[in-house]
Amino acid sequence: MDGKKVKLSLEHISQSYVLNNRAFDAVQDINFDVYDSEFLVLLGPGYCGKTVLLNIISGLEEPVDGTVRLDGEVVKGSDPRIGMVFQKTSLLPWKTVMENVEVGPKMAGVAKEERRKTAQKYIDLVGLQGFEKSYPTQLSGGMKQRVGIARAYTNSPEILLMDEPFGALDAQTRYSMEEEIQKIWQSEKRTIIFVTNNIEEAVYLGDRIVLLTNRPAHVKAIYDIDLPRPRDTVSPEFLRIRKEISDNTDLAL
Amino acid sequence: MSTKNTDIVLSASEQRERRKQILYKILPVVSILLLVALWIAASGGESSSFPSPMDVYDRFLRFMEKPIQKLSLWQHILASLKRVLIALLASWVLGISFGILIGWNKKANALLGPIFTAIRVVPPLAWIPLITIWFGTGEFPKILVVFLGAVMPVVVNTQAGMSNIDQQYLDVGRIFNANKRQMLLDFAIPSALDAIFAGVRTSASAAWMVVLAAEMLGGKSGVGFLITRGMDSGDLPLVLLSMICIGIIGAILAISMQLIERGVCPWTAKKSN
Repeated sequence: MDGKKVKLSLEHISQSYVLNNRAFDAVQDINFDVYDSEFLVLLGPGYCGKTVLLNIISGLEEPVDGTVRLDGEVVKGSDPRIGMVFQKTSLLPWKTVMENVEVGPKMAGVAKEERRKTAQKYIDLVGLQGFEKSYPTQLSGGMKQRVGIARAYTNSPEILLMDEPFGALDAQTRYSMEEEIQKIWQSEKRTIIFVTNNIEEAVYLGDRIVLLTNRPAHVKAIYDIDLPRPRDTVSPEFLRIRKEISDNTDLAL
Repeated sequence: MSTKNTDIVLSASEQRERRKQILYKILPVVSILLLVALWIAASGGESSSFPSPMDVYDRFLRFMEKPIQKLSLWQHILASLKRVLIALLASWVLGISFGILIGWNKKANALLGPIFTAIRVVPPLAWIPLITIWFGTGEFPKILVVFLGAVMPVVVNTQAGMSNIDQQYLDVGRIFNANKRQMLLDFAIPSALDAIFAGVRTSASAAWMVVLAAEMLGGKSGVGFLITRGMDSGDLPLVLLSMICIGIIGAILAISMQLIERGVCPWTAKKSN
């Protein structure tokens, strides 16, 4: 990894909660760097604390210990340079596709004409032209998640967090969305941190995979995936890496 | 599904389904006819104290020729509606604002919530003696009583909606760095609109009920007044005629509220498509 620029670093991140008068640790002493423009996958068993980690990076939660650095500076609270694609899509049902996508620049006070132009660009990029005036309830699950991706991109973040964005989709839609997100990432290079519990998805998408343990989560291993893109999910090399990671993964609780 | 272009051949189950659909269209008509038949049966006999549909219709025609208290039936209805609409508008503006305040701001709720709860449990009609002493028997006191009845459900529902907002929408606001004003206007209030409209719907039916009671207790116009007049003069057809008007207008009010909701929240109407 020499010569690559560190974009984001997590230093000794720990988080714990009090539940029923008992403290329990969600993540424990997490350390890793994310390089500029890389596709990093956070892989771990269900409920291991992956979402907690993303919430800390995005500023939705404050860790009990540790710091997040972006370009060397400590990040406090939510930062417009860090965007998020939510697990449950979290589209606003009272807004149309266009209004959902333009929400970031709108909050920042960007003039309507300008923000609509940016929004339209990303609506086109995710293949939703013609649906600008539709409401989220009229869209399928895959289309909703496309809106979520366009919404995150329209705010021009430098880092995009994706929290199991395809977890709720059926297998077929999931494959096509994985392909899609890879294309989008290749045409609009951003640093992506992608959370999943699906090993195949991780190996298909990631430049690197950070494997987390069961709760309290800590980093178990980091894999560099040097396969050419788009990856062949049944090539021997792909299957070998997949098995290697699979053998090293904790079972979900 | 496969034979869309050719003549539609219905399967047995589809035919059953279609017959069911027709049945569901006929049944409401049957039930109304039954009600009228029951009414005619109950009012049978010359000396009955229960007027027949024909008596009521005759009373309606007589009313058209001879106004009561110099007002036609329509003017009485209009008088009631005017009170309801003024009170409703005031209750929506003030009730929604107040509900948002105590639903969104915990300090405001701690300060004002108990006062509101104490007032809320008093039925609006219990205010009539006090209000009559303070403000007399003109238009304003009637509207005030109706307002008291209408504003309660608006506040209660708005507050509930504002204090139970789905966290995921607020997270979106935080991720996109919404300021406090944007958080309230772009995220919190729209996501509480469902609950707010539940309050608005309830307020309309409550207002319609309270205005009749207020008019029955004192007044020279309105549908409630007509009922009292009918009762005092033993004019039962007039009482029944007024009751029918009340039912029809209540239904129209309820439908109007649904139409308003669809206009303000177009995304809920499109859900079914």
